[in-house]
Amino acid sequence: MPALPNETTRLLRGCAGGDRAAFRRLYEIWAARLLGIARAITGDPAAAADAVQEAFVQAWQQAGGFDPDRGSAEAWLVSLVRYRALDILRQRGRETTGYEAPDEADDSPGALDRLVGDAETEALRRCLGQLEPERRRLITLAFVHGLSHGALARRLALPLGTVKSSIRRGLAALRGCLES
Amino acid sequence: MSGSDRDMLAAEYVLGTLDGPELEEARRLVLADPDFAHAVRAWERRLAPLSRLAETADPPPDLWARIEARIGTPVLAPEAARLRGALRRWQLAAGVGLALAAVFAGLAFLRPAAPPEVVALAPVKPGAFLLALDRQGGALAIRPAAPVDAAPPDRDYELWTLPPGAKAPRSLGVLPPGGMRLASAIPPGTHLMVSLEPKGGSPTSAPTGPVLYDGVVQATSD
Repeated sequence: MPALPNETTRLLRGCAGGDRAAFRRLYEIWAARLLGIARAITGDPAAAADAVQEAFVQAWQQAGGFDPDRGSAEAWLVSLVRYRALDILRQRGRETTGYEAPDEADDSPGALDRLVGDAETEALRRCLGQLEPERRRLITLAFVHGLSHGALARRLALPLGTVKSSIRRGLAALRGCLES
Repeated sequence: MSGSDRDMLAAEYVLGTLDGPELEEARRLVLADPDFAHAVRAWERRLAPLSRLAETADPPPDLWARIEARIGTPVLAPEAARLRGALRRWQLAAGVGLALAAVFAGLAFLRPAAPPEVVALAPVKPGAFLLALDRQGGALAIRPAAPVDAAPPDRDYELWTLPPGAKAPRSLGVLPPGGMRLASAIPPGTHLMVSLEPKGGSPTSAPTGPVLYDGVVQATSD
């Protein structure tokens, strides 16, 4: 389970001040979660561990730049590891040798029941549930498994242009719902 | 680009579907355009809970030790050796192709006894050089740490500072190939960036060319 947001924010403040115990605690709380995120994107345990290693190093070095007024600690940590994992995927050429996400049902409406937690998570679940199923599926596969437009088109047997426009419409609808 | 196009670019950047020129453009805007960076943060916050759909995974036993080894063991060698050590770590990082590829890849730093800071500005894209910065007696010196590719004849490198909480970067002037010294204090948490600009520097008050290097000045506790 995710840590209490306040605890992560407090630990990041400790890291900014050079507190190694806080950094160790941050690792204990977040390593398994961040590694899971990186594995879902890269499909490769070793590459995922590399991404998590670099994300923690960056978190330690840049904790002083994290501002809780401008974003949640969860969003910050998740973003650090996702950008690393996506870069690994891009370096490997995800269009040609791309790892194809397993046929899990994590893009089904039922899987959204796993989105429980704070108010922001509940709001995202509600708004995803209101999207057209195809748009929800595209957005979820792209975010969780790092699928490119091309990989999504192959996976869902859709024209590339349809994939791009569906994602944009889905994201716009999501933004409208979350801001309402 | 309209505001809504820009917000959609930010959304797709966070979603991870961008490649090629669109990805380059988004990476440049994250560093150069505070409004775009704000839009990216908003999308990161909106979408982050989706990551809970990924199953957790047990970290390999050596992962913590690998991280600890990377975060700056105190080095007691003379200043020059310290600097070389910091840069060697960055070159190693560049060798595995990870650190320098990430858009936010920023910095390496040590926590030596004196001088209190050694910061490396890492290139946003792999394959280029590093810039080092150290503080001695309150002054900042920024100098190339490895042979520097000269800017093209009609262009100049320009140094920018983005203090914590600031909304827009501020120019510190054109960066000569041999480096420069700065008189003013640079507070911890400040981003230092180098962009490629027209000869004489950016014609506006903001970077107009690609941001080539980026680093964050860190507070030192020892």
